[in-house]
Amino acid sequence: MVSFTDEKLAEVQAIINRYPEGKQKSALLPVLHLAQQEFDGWLDVPVMDYVASLLKIEPIEVYEVASFYSMYNLKPVGKYMFEVCQTGPCMLNGSDDIIAYIKEKLNIGVGETTADGMFTLKTVECLGACGYAPMMQMGKIYKEHLTKEKVDAIIAACRANAN
Amino acid sequence: MKKLLLEKAHVEGIRTYEVYRREGGYRSVEKALKMAPADITEEVKKSGLRGRGGAGFPTGLKWSFLAKPEGIPRHLVVNADESEPGTFKDRYLMEFIPHLLIEGMVVSSFALGSNVSYIYIRGEYAWIVDILEEAIAEAKQNGFLGKNILDSGFDCEIYVHRGAGAYICGEETALLESLEGKRGNPRIKPPFPAVKGVWERPTVVNNVETIAAVVPIINDGGEEYAKIGVGKSTGTKLISACGNINKPGVFEIDMTISVEEFIYSDEYCGGIPNGKKLKACIPGGSSVPILPANLLLTTAKGEKRMMNYESLSDGGFATGSMMGSGGFIVLDEDQCVVRHTYTLARFYRHESCGQCSPCREGTGWMEKILLNIENGKGKKSDIDLLWDIQRRIEGNTICPLGDAAAWPVAAAIRHFRDEFEWHVQNPGECLKRNFGLAHYADAIHVPVAG
Repeated sequence: MVSFTDEKLAEVQAIINRYPEGKQKSALLPVLHLAQQEFDGWLDVPVMDYVASLLKIEPIEVYEVASFYSMYNLKPVGKYMFEVCQTGPCMLNGSDDIIAYIKEKLNIGVGETTADGMFTLKTVECLGACGYAPMMQMGKIYKEHLTKEKVDAIIAACRANAN
Repeated sequence: MKKLLLEKAHVEGIRTYEVYRREGGYRSVEKALKMAPADITEEVKKSGLRGRGGAGFPTGLKWSFLAKPEGIPRHLVVNADESEPGTFKDRYLMEFIPHLLIEGMVVSSFALGSNVSYIYIRGEYAWIVDILEEAIAEAKQNGFLGKNILDSGFDCEIYVHRGAGAYICGEETALLESLEGKRGNPRIKPPFPAVKGVWERPTVVNNVETIAAVVPIINDGGEEYAKIGVGKSTGTKLISACGNINKPGVFEIDMTISVEEFIYSDEYCGGIPNGKKLKACIPGGSSVPILPANLLLTTAKGEKRMMNYESLSDGGFATGSMMGSGGFIVLDEDQCVVRHTYTLARFYRHESCGQCSPCREGTGWMEKILLNIENGKGKKSDIDLLWDIQRRIEGNTICPLGDAAAWPVAAAIRHFRDEFEWHVQNPGECLKRNFGLAHYADAIHVPVAG
């Protein structure tokens, strides 16, 4: 049975309270972020159904939202997700090479996860870091001005951190 | 030049209330709460402030459209869903000087009669949510938010609502849908948000930079603000510059400088790396027309092109572009316009919400055709086909995303048709070029026509 801890349930209630009475559906996006963070980085159907029950809305209202926004993962992802921007300004600064390098280094394709479940590689569209290109998002933070050396260091740090 | 927004952005500790207040922060709230709300709107009108999100609509006028039916709450929603490729100015402002946005929001909320205001921020700016929430908590502790602010009887709460990855939510009605916990499908207008916005309540949606600009307008008066700049481009504008320039970053300009000075002066972009030549530029975010160097620096009339709303759009789409969001993307002589346009077409295909078929289908077609041309599989007729598709998207969709997807393709063909033809005539040659150039790769130089 999927369930938030009491602490997280209090957080959900605080989110709901930001919106007018009866408009608790407005809390859906933030609560899905919270759910994804709590339940292994992705939104399985039981998780979405649970969120629907918390907000007193139909499960379909959750599915249609979860499938619309690119930040919600509808299948399992690695412990670390590299989301590399590939839009114009990043492309001008070498993002294609960065993506190729990460693929080679981790031996996975875009959208794939390493066999050890450690890394997932995704390409994304403009993340608003155009002046600090090439860049990728890793969890909550941006890794900017990427070079091959910097990618090496990030991967090594992730591995060290996981051990 | 006098900076109005970023003057204090790099004062040590400015993110904290204590330092921000010491540097003169929240004075505009003290002043505004003694004014009549309508007089604040009047000052904003006098300032000539135009929406800084991209459309450039006069802010005071937008505020004056807000319906005020008895007994129905109104809301201010700040659009921090900055997602237009090339644009990263709002992020900069929120990251470095978050209290400026909060201060502007308190004043604007008072003017509009919003007791609960929201910041809709793009989901990827997750760490900025923490910065903003910290600033909100500090403002509340110090009596600039919450109940009965400065004993004025005015209550105001601000909440941050995090999106989840969708460019379309920068469109104001899609943003409101998203704020209601739905897919970001733009609404048919009318009704406009000023009449029926979030939860069918009258709502004003303004960009981060717009709301921040309300602070100097109230502090110094609308007329003082209007003295800065030129013509209908009053005040200062944040420009986020990127691409092939020596000093990418966010610059506050007063809209009286030339494009040439902006690119080459050390005060701004600092010129193009490795002594390369300027090839083209998208001056206002990825949606606005790309211009080749000659038309960028000089208008078709032979006048120096300036960094303001009027000059950048001089010549219409035939020979001009737009100020847009201030996302300034520079391409040097080695860059391929076809490939760059392909990445933008892919972006718009990815971001189309799918409601309107011209946009849903057309963006995908444009992406595929551009990729084919880039990969050496294009035909000459494909160039005309692309032109035809973009023309059928423009103006035929509920929201401006369709136009935004069509314009970059149209402008690329308009100004760089010979480069498209070169790709068709020399299949695969472009792929031998290395686009990674910048930091570690050796470039393979293949001349590109145009």
